[in-house]
Amino acid sequence: MPAETRREALKALVSGEGVNFITTPILIPPAPYFDLAGEEFGARLILTTGADGAEFCLRPDFTLPIAIEHLESGAATPAAYGYLGPIFRQRADGPAEFDQAGLELLASPDAGAALDQVIAFARAALDVYGIARPAIRVGSIGLFETLLARSDMPEVWRPRIRARFGHRQAMSRLLTRLAGPHKSEAGPKGMPVGDIADWVSELMLTNGLSLTESRGPEEIAARYLEKQALEAAQVPQATIALLREYLAISGEADAALDRIEALAATGGIALDGALETARQHARQLRNGNGNNGLVFDAAFSPRLDYYTGITFEMTGQGGSVLVSGGQYDRLLRRLGADGDVPSVGCALWVERLEAEAVR
Amino acid sequence: MSNIMLALPSKGRLQEEAMDLFAGSGLTIARPGGARSYLGEMTAMPDVTVRFLSASEIARELIRGTIDLGITGEDLIHETAETGPMQVEIVKRLGFGRADVVVAVPDAWIDVTAMDDLSDVAADFRARHGRWLKVATKYVNLTRRHFAQAGIAEYRIVESLGATEAAPASGAADLIVDITSTGSTLQANGLRILTDGVMLESEAVLMVSRNADWAGNRRRTLDALLEKLGAAAFIL
Repeated sequence: MPAETRREALKALVSGEGVNFITTPILIPPAPYFDLAGEEFGARLILTTGADGAEFCLRPDFTLPIAIEHLESGAATPAAYGYLGPIFRQRADGPAEFDQAGLELLASPDAGAALDQVIAFARAALDVYGIARPAIRVGSIGLFETLLARSDMPEVWRPRIRARFGHRQAMSRLLTRLAGPHKSEAGPKGMPVGDIADWVSELMLTNGLSLTESRGPEEIAARYLEKQALEAAQVPQATIALLREYLAISGEADAALDRIEALAATGGIALDGALETARQHARQLRNGNGNNGLVFDAAFSPRLDYYTGITFEMTGQGGSVLVSGGQYDRLLRRLGADGDVPSVGCALWVERLEAEAVR
Repeated sequence: MSNIMLALPSKGRLQEEAMDLFAGSGLTIARPGGARSYLGEMTAMPDVTVRFLSASEIARELIRGTIDLGITGEDLIHETAETGPMQVEIVKRLGFGRADVVVAVPDAWIDVTAMDDLSDVAADFRARHGRWLKVATKYVNLTRRHFAQAGIAEYRIVESLGATEAAPASGAADLIVDITSTGSTLQANGLRILTDGVMLESEAVLMVSRNADWAGNRRRTLDALLEKLGAAAFIL
């Protein structure tokens, strides 16, 4: 099959029945990307400035522009969007243009069926390129969030640990720090929080800082005391060991999930529903993939807080990721919807698929 | 062709010290067009053309390969392009023009003394204040790299091309990344450097462009010049 035929077949998949083929503008404002993904992703944008100083970027993906368009048509309306076109990102060796294709299902009434549809779409697309059994890596955000919520630790650390999920280095750095906390610092120990706040606010005013624009005196004083009290607010060593062991689990999905079940049982943590959901997701991904490696990697997650539930990627013989996908129920809320909206999708790297096809 | 192009800073102490460096190695640079001219000559090595450019232009042109070697601040190479340091080879550290690129927070942030503290503050900031933690700097690349190493992702950079130290007081940003030689400007503005907040200990360096054309005789001129200066050999 020549390359053009494969592309036609892919185009047919992203504009099939019930799928709204969508072409979003290439030149777009970068603010939503910075707002949602921060500087790390911002560094990958190809930016330009208009004559009036307004910033623009070249579309770096389709998911976000599609989500924004969807919001305008009403967040709760179920919709399926397909796309195929160029995206632009900075790479270490310079700016680059890639073709990306994908499917995004927003506000589907049945999340399980929607995930099945996305997986079936990814498989059909891989079939077009003659890739029968990709290696699949799967991670579960839902499972980690449940484990974290039910682990024994002072409340302040939960969001900070959650914020590092998906970034191995940062997570390991934080856990190491929690395992051997700094000694309390010399300071006004025993001084009530109100007095410290007064002292801080005096210093802020002297330095010409606004008391309301940035961190306020109460916030600083509270965290100062929290640091003082770190010895009291320590994360128990058992919890740190449990988190470390959990994050290190990676292997054949059933075995890995069994290990997680055993680990949770040993730690006295009830994962119940979340574990069953993760097993169900793994089954859905395995479906039709034979026994070819389905790996559950407990630490695998995009480092973006709007991802939820399951995340997965499919890899070809060449070792590069061909498809990445997952659920992102919090995205529409982050963009202004009233609450979470069930969302699932995947994106395919067309040039890499083509490279696999001609292997 | 055996001519190579050397770029030196066009003003200030950096220029004086650079000129002294060459004079000290028996390579006095003359300015036939007068002290305001942007061209110079090296009598001992006529194959070396000298141009006087602004320090940031030198960094940019070295990375592009339109000049062959030059002296400028190391910080500018990091800042001009993310992969800037890979495009040049530092053949001699010069010991002058010393300054550190540092992370500084308001002194009133008594709970923040190290990058780890900043990482906690950044993780909570959005939930508390409804916006990202803002860092004012002109060192966008260095900041991104250093913050990523510290595991901090939850922040936004506000580009600042001057008087960065005023950004926290003006409300433009919450903290800054800036260059400082003595720290006194930071102190005067109520800012404090984090204990592990030094991102780069910068100084003036002599650098050779990897992207210049190093065929044949030009290479010979370069090697001779580097030897006279007691610089490291250039390995392409």
